[in-house]
Amino acid sequence: MAGATSDPRLESNLLATFFLQTTMDLVLLLQRVFDALFNSAIYSSLALALVIIFRSTGLLNFAQGEMATFTAYIAFVLLAGPQPRLTGGGLAGLVPGVPFTVPLAIVGAVLCGMAVGAATERVLIRPLGGASDLALVNITIGLLLATNSLMAQWWGTGPRIFPAIFPSGAGQHFTILGARLRYSTIGVWIVLLSVLILLILLLRHTRVGLAFRAVSISPSNAELVGVRVGPTLMYGWAMASGFGALAACLSANSVLLEPNMMLRVLVYAFAAATLGGLDSPKGALVGGLIIGLSQTLIPAYVPFIGFELSVLPALLAMVLILLIRPAGLYGTKRIERV
Amino acid sequence: MFERQRRLSWISVTGIVLLSVALAIIPFVASTTGLRQASQIIISVLAVLGVNVATGYGGMISLGHGVFVGVGAFATGFYLDDLSLPWLVAIALGAVTAGLSGALVGLPALRIKGIHLALVTLGMAIVFQPLSKRFPKITGGVSGQGVEARFDAPNWWPGDSRMASAVYRYLFCVLIVVLALWATWNVVNSRFGRSMRALRDNHTAAAIYGVDLVSARVTTFAISAGLAGLCGALQVLLVPFVSQDKFPAQESLVIYASAVVGGLGTIWGPVLGVIARTAVGKAGDLVAGFDGLGPIGDFFSLLDESAFVFGVGLIVLTFFFPRGLAGIGRKRQPSG
Repeated sequence: MAGATSDPRLESNLLATFFLQTTMDLVLLLQRVFDALFNSAIYSSLALALVIIFRSTGLLNFAQGEMATFTAYIAFVLLAGPQPRLTGGGLAGLVPGVPFTVPLAIVGAVLCGMAVGAATERVLIRPLGGASDLALVNITIGLLLATNSLMAQWWGTGPRIFPAIFPSGAGQHFTILGARLRYSTIGVWIVLLSVLILLILLLRHTRVGLAFRAVSISPSNAELVGVRVGPTLMYGWAMASGFGALAACLSANSVLLEPNMMLRVLVYAFAAATLGGLDSPKGALVGGLIIGLSQTLIPAYVPFIGFELSVLPALLAMVLILLIRPAGLYGTKRIERV
Repeated sequence: MFERQRRLSWISVTGIVLLSVALAIIPFVASTTGLRQASQIIISVLAVLGVNVATGYGGMISLGHGVFVGVGAFATGFYLDDLSLPWLVAIALGAVTAGLSGALVGLPALRIKGIHLALVTLGMAIVFQPLSKRFPKITGGVSGQGVEARFDAPNWWPGDSRMASAVYRYLFCVLIVVLALWATWNVVNSRFGRSMRALRDNHTAAAIYGVDLVSARVTTFAISAGLAGLCGALQVLLVPFVSQDKFPAQESLVIYASAVVGGLGTIWGPVLGVIARTAVGKAGDLVAGFDGLGPIGDFFSLLDESAFVFGVGLIVLTFFFPRGLAGIGRKRQPSG
């Protein structure tokens, strides 16, 4: 290549190719970041659900994903009317179908999810009264299994097409520096952030919010000053399940609605919650952002981990954080006294 | 339970007698297929026993034992076909491989405890399927692959029909399961078993009394994973085909549920759990046969889904019989 360097035109050509290549790589990177932002919002919102419950009740709700999927099916039924199972008639025929618009159906599903969450706390968690980890795991795993097969039985295991809430066809995007930022990504973030702001206002400026914060810090002390712990926890569960329902309804369009839809998402959300610190809502948001980005970027740049295995880095990250820094980024450090 | 039970209660004796009679009758009444299915049910005791060792005796919640069953099955297939090892060696090595992978999981379990360990093992159960699709040479990728080797009756075995071979395989499985139960019973009542349970009840106190936390936790998890791996190895013996689609996350959860429903921390718990799982499956088949009941029929058809029944069963038992089926007749103990 000694001759090549002596030729100035070729050199500038090489330089131009190099620049073009770098710019294309950068645009591709930006594109991947934009794509990742959509998933990030979903993971953040499911992680928030997990964090709200862990913070107040001290349990990891393994059934959160399945409960969320259930509400997405409810939105689907609200939209499309009773859905027969793919194999024949079903119990779903009992659910009256009203023609809803997409946002209205999602609001309905979120309300349903909140009711289910509150009922779960009242009926399954509160009577146990701070039982062992084992009992709580049993309850949530039981819920996971039961809900999962219930959905498979009522609505079939085949994937359903869930309508998009935001315009998400071809060409419906902003172009920033050559990369496409889809309207749906922006829409999902707007919804997530506005619900978050609502939540913060609720926590800071209402009596219920104050009670909830007190219970999160110390249930026994809160009880001593007259806060009714049980109902407050129930509101917490309702809030959490609302976030879960939102996550499921917003993502159902892109991942197709099926009973196992949230199983993997649950791993990402748990990884996000762990990364942020299991008892920190801020951590859930940041964790969701990081996990969402790494889910798209790692498979793109590490060939061994294709799309199928993209859940592996999330799991490894979760294990490493629990080993090295169990409090995560923003969580409260726990000290074990002997 | 800190003292070894010297006498068997009459319930246990009746149970053992009934079970032995049932096990002895099956080969005379079942077809080859029926015998294979019976064998499959019998070996599934091993996986549940594995969960019982980790969770019931060791106090480490494992929601991912289906993974070790899978590792055992894939490893046995690999040793048989690629390394052409004899059956007994392949089965033993398959269980050992699963045990080693269990020890790997047990290592982080030193610091990750309680509900966090449940989280990690659940993650493991969810990741296992896509991960095994990535190693098609061993696992056969998405569709799975057949195993060439066959486990046939040796020459001295009377008869050489397919039925004779099936009976041979059945008896082999029963023998292994009985041996495994007996070995586990001895391990949990040994010095090591006591330190294991001490660790479960109060790990700080156990450490003060001189229990080596690291080796106790890792060994417990390795034993429990090895038992699950043995189940996987015997699956290959019964059906010479390995595939990732036998090991979805739900399978791990149903194994866990069987262990809880049967009764954690008891030696007969896994047997009862598997009997319950089988009974539920059979009952489901029966009610699924009815038609024309409308929505009620649909509700009954839910019973056909053993995952549904076990999910509900898990919740109900946690409320009313926290010690599982094996604990129903017994008095409550001050500490569990």
